Amino acid sequence: MLPAAGSISSLVAGLWLLNIVLDTSGQLAFKAAAGNPLAGDGLARWKHMAARPWLWLGIACYVIEFLVWIAFLSLIPLSEGVLLGSINIVAIMVAGRFLFGEKLTRLRVIGILLVTLGVTIVGVAG
Amino acid sequence: MRRFYLFGFLLLMGFDTLSQISFKYAGTQALPVAASVAWLLRVFGQPWVYGAIVGYVGAFFTWMSLLKHAPIGPAFAASHLEVVSVMLLSVWLFDEHLTVPRVLGAIAIIAGIVCLGLAESREHTPEPAA
Repeated sequence: MLPAAGSISSLVAGLWLLNIVLDTSGQLAFKAAAGNPLAGDGLARWKHMAARPWLWLGIACYVIEFLVWIAFLSLIPLSEGVLLGSINIVAIMVAGRFLFGEKLTRLRVIGILLVTLGVTIVGVAG
Repeated sequence: MRRFYLFGFLLLMGFDTLSQISFKYAGTQALPVAASVAWLLRVFGQPWVYGAIVGYVGAFFTWMSLLKHAPIGPAFAASHLEVVSVMLLSVWLFDEHLTVPRVLGAIAIIAGIVCLGLAESREHTPEPAA
């Protein structure tokens, strides 16, 4: 799944991987922040979230990801970059399966495989 | 109501597209990439980065209001289908080429996103009584 070393520099590959890690961690942190049913509603819920690290971890991930993505896109064509970035969808679903026990139905597995196939084609030959 | 969804999905795609185009302009103008304050100053010293932020914020609020009303499956798909508009615009704005691997990859990715959107729809619609 890693882009071939020939077509893409190691800096680009590193930024791509970092983007996946940050995007997935950020999403999962928001999920952990928002998913607590004991937190109440409205303002109480926001206070509950703000007093715990998950929300802030999520925000930190997104801020760093913002910069990583700018650096990534400045090094490769935009049309290639957005396609390679689609792998985040897969990473989040797989992580959700392992950490939150979310179900991977057959249709989801097909979707994940198709997105992965597309990203691989672009990464290897893009 | 259908027109409301369609407008919402298009607005979401529009904001996401604006972000990606702005990211590309911002990054290109801040080259060379370096883990340094100088690079950060170059990024935030030109207007495009703020276009990206506007796109992000706009997409966030559009997404939130769509989720309140629209079915999750199509909303999920629409939130990721900006790859199509971004690819087409990058040909026009950045003189990029739609190479065969990129087109094939895009087709597979879009098919995958549609499958995932359908999966979301199924999970969130109540099953008809057997």
